[in-house]
Amino acid sequence: MLLLAPTLVNLAPAELADAVRTRFGSELRRLGAFTQLCQVGAQACIEASGTGGRLGVLLATEHGALTATRAALDDGPRRGEPTMPYTFIATQTNLAGALLARRSHDVARAACLYLEAQDWPWLLRIARSWLAQCERVAVGWVEEAAQGEPHRSHWCIFVREAAAPAIHCAPAGAGTAATTGDWIARVAAWRNAPGGPLELRGSGQGWRFTSHQSSA
Amino acid sequence: MSGAFVRATALASALGPELGAATGRLLGEPCAPQTLMGWPYRAIPVEDSDWRRRAQTIARSVAAALRRSAGLPAGHWAGLPCLVGSSSFSIGASESEYPAVELPDAFCRTLAQCFGAGGPVIAMNTACTSGLSALQAALDLIEEGAFSDVLVLGAEFSNRLTVAGFAGLELLSPTRARPCDRERDGMVLGEALGAVLVSAAPAEWRVSALAAGVDAASVTGPAPGGEAMAATMRSAMDQARWQPGHVDLIKLQAAGSPLSDLAEARAVRALFTPPPKLASLKGAIGHTLGASGPAELALLLGALARGRVPPTWGYEVYDAEIGLAPSDGAAGEVRRVLFNLSGFGGSVMTLALERAG
Repeated sequence: MLLLAPTLVNLAPAELADAVRTRFGSELRRLGAFTQLCQVGAQACIEASGTGGRLGVLLATEHGALTATRAALDDGPRRGEPTMPYTFIATQTNLAGALLARRSHDVARAACLYLEAQDWPWLLRIARSWLAQCERVAVGWVEEAAQGEPHRSHWCIFVREAAAPAIHCAPAGAGTAATTGDWIARVAAWRNAPGGPLELRGSGQGWRFTSHQSSA
Repeated sequence: MSGAFVRATALASALGPELGAATGRLLGEPCAPQTLMGWPYRAIPVEDSDWRRRAQTIARSVAAALRRSAGLPAGHWAGLPCLVGSSSFSIGASESEYPAVELPDAFCRTLAQCFGAGGPVIAMNTACTSGLSALQAALDLIEEGAFSDVLVLGAEFSNRLTVAGFAGLELLSPTRARPCDRERDGMVLGEALGAVLVSAAPAEWRVSALAAGVDAASVTGPAPGGEAMAATMRSAMDQARWQPGHVDLIKLQAAGSPLSDLAEARAVRALFTPPPKLASLKGAIGHTLGASGPAELALLLGALARGRVPPTWGYEVYDAEIGLAPSDGAAGEVRRVLFNLSGFGGSVMTLALERAG
């Protein structure tokens, strides 16, 4: 399995609207901050990868659209009033696939996983399975700004084969402890200054990242 | 074709906290839903004013039934992975505990503990298809040989936020769910905890395929022509190496929604001439959202084990535009089943099940 275009979008909350306009040429109306953050990061990654074909979208988060959830809990049900669309049943975390499909990506499947920090290797295992039916799988980690951290929308693309230089990924037995929130950033930093293989581990599994030159 | 089987199922739903009795009620006379916030609602008949205690009581009851049915060695559960699909997780608890909000992963770990499943826990959300997404991940784990058995839960417990949200979108019926009926006027929500133990070891029902698709027409409903649903059913049949004539029964997504039921009907009619037997379970247990995959699978297999095609509660009057007449619960031989779900965010899934042997 090959990894392409590790992409880090980190934004102060006040920068999100501008980032959306820059990326898409207009506002994403009626969508919550979490959904917009997903779209900005995923679209940037897909464009950077230069890939095409059937796409899987696999999104991980620990908190989800917590701001919207809190707002909905604060407002609607307590007063017995209807809740605004997209602020209930975790809808925001579930829109990434359909919204990317509307941008002319051939989205075959999409899912959101709520993962604890050490559980990130599950994303690679699931992405590897999805590659049986998708030509590429966009894997992301998205968290809204909290406790001094900016909005974060980190993405990469997995493919079976690549025409361009890529990063080869394979299960490994050991490595440096990484988290759901930093493994893509670690891979991106390593790609920019490669030395030996990068070995990262989470719960129950490690992964080894090495440079891969295309045979094409 | 998948090499996975349904080893055991268990369910708590509006039909009762125990699957055998619930199946009997499904095959009996329909009863009216309860209400929540003034809307019809299919609640699990377990009373407890403490949301968390009630959820855990229900989970332990379902767990005990599943463990009896599964017959796995006790020690095997200690390493069993638990994949949980839900759309609301423990938001019902947060309604009373606010501003504290429990994260989904933490709630799913609590559910896994109730089942004694001590392996990895993954919380998945693809809205109303969440339970089938969890099942799909379970099939992947079995396929790669990492585990021989995987526990899949679909969990949706009563909360006001979900009812308020669907009411705000004007998707709820003020009376009852009437899937595929000419007078259908919306869905009725429900709660359920469905449990499915998926196994590499042969059992009565094989999971022959599970196909997924995305319908980008609208984030809250399918394209009117049902094209994505048709493509997903076609994909499931292709993966299972079936022709349309092989299918004995389609478990419909149909929840009683005027437009969504019609889109699914168009998809069915596009692929099947004549259509096979049809059934919807949402009239009986409500639309249980993220739980509906495991919950409806358990109920469906319960009815088929009694030699009956599940009746579609709420269906009475044929709709010429729909052009389909769901089952009335008659006896019938069923060997191959397509099982449809779709949901917000455009997720569409079709499970293909086949009697083994």
